[in-house]
Amino acid sequence: METIINNESGKTLVVLKGRIDTTNADQFQQDIAPLMEGEHPDIEIDCSEMTYTSSQGLRIFLLLQKSVNARGGIMVLRNMNPQVKEVFDITGFSNIITIL
Amino acid sequence: MKLDLHCEMILDEYRAKLPVFEQLKTVVLSQLHRCLDEHNLLVSGLEARIKTETSLSGKLELKGYKYHTLDDITDILGARIITFYSDEVDLISALVEKLFEIDWENSVDKRKMLETDRFGYLSLHYVCRIPRKLYNDPSMPELNQIRFELQMRSTLQHVWANMYHDMGYKSEVEIPVEYQRNMSRLAGMLELVDEQFSRIRREITDYRRNVQSLVASGNFNEVPLNGDTFRSYLELKPFHRLAQKIASINQAELYEDSLMPYFKVFYLLGMKTIGDIQNLRNKYSEGAYQLALLQLAGTGLDIVACSVAIQNLCIVAILKQGFGEAGLQRLFGLVYGESDYNAQRAHRVFEQAQKINLIQ
Repeated sequence: METIINNESGKTLVVLKGRIDTTNADQFQQDIAPLMEGEHPDIEIDCSEMTYTSSQGLRIFLLLQKSVNARGGIMVLRNMNPQVKEVFDITGFSNIITIL
Repeated sequence: MKLDLHCEMILDEYRAKLPVFEQLKTVVLSQLHRCLDEHNLLVSGLEARIKTETSLSGKLELKGYKYHTLDDITDILGARIITFYSDEVDLISALVEKLFEIDWENSVDKRKMLETDRFGYLSLHYVCRIPRKLYNDPSMPELNQIRFELQMRSTLQHVWANMYHDMGYKSEVEIPVEYQRNMSRLAGMLELVDEQFSRIRREITDYRRNVQSLVASGNFNEVPLNGDTFRSYLELKPFHRLAQKIASINQAELYEDSLMPYFKVFYLLGMKTIGDIQNLRNKYSEGAYQLALLQLAGTGLDIVACSVAIQNLCIVAILKQGFGEAGLQRLFGLVYGESDYNAQRAHRVFEQAQKINLIQ
């Protein structure tokens, strides 16, 4: 699991690579902790190289979404492959998180 | 601009007291924000300004003889609350009366100053002080002595006043009589519009109250489906039992999310009353659960959103009514927005539904 974070003109761009599961969810949460605060809450997450997320991953996305909402920002997940997207669909998380 | 000695002394006093006015402005704005928040009142605008030296000089040049000291000028600090509706001005003024000390002798209700056949500037002006019990800074005792002006008016009253100010009021050019007449006509029209907005708001509030009672009474077949009735219906958590049953598949945590996006789905499914939704729920709950069981069992996913229940109910209803993959694609488009992925998802769900004989 790899998390790459870049800031570009007031927006945070994140690239996620690999699986988010029990073995690395804590690390993922630590990696994205800086995104939970700060003046620029808009976040775009590229999921094209993300291969799976477990419930732990969903919970972390939910925390991040709540933090972004509280600061009046927008978070979008992009380029998610159909297998990962199915996890969001069957848990109802597609209704909570914007996936483009 | 050449001022006499008396006016120059007032200007000196103004310069010396500017830091106090700055602090007063901060206190006034913060107290008003706090008061509005405490009473859950949303306003269209809350603003304050300190009169500039140029503006004060102009005032002194015109009528400096009227003022003995700077304290006699009550609008060095001017604040303004702009409400959405005209009937909120009285509500806000009642709160301001409790908050600040009002100098009634110099306060004026311009809404009551116009003759019945005249239309023009409508605003409530209070001259106020900050009482010590509200704010007390021993290093700046004069802050509680200084008076400031607080204007309260509706958005439309504000629009008219701004236009008038820009085009005529305080202008060096005399306004032609026919132009004055047009401004009065506009003021009359805006007053009518303001009144209508207040009336509509009151009626909608009454309607929502009635809807809540009707929904709470459980006579769902008598409740027409619209955004308000659907919202009231959701407060009864009609899909919660199904959501809990779905969550129990993986002993999952249930996360409450918004179900309002599904209003338009039910509407397009031809539901006319809340009773129709209730019937749909009763009829298709088992199918919705079976679909969730197929999708979630064995995945280990132990968090689900409440919307899974209503989502699966809509999927089953669409398939049972024979709308097929195209119907599912339309559903996903309505709830999540149009995208190429909706076709893939519709195909996948359609195949899953076939496995558990949900296809009509």
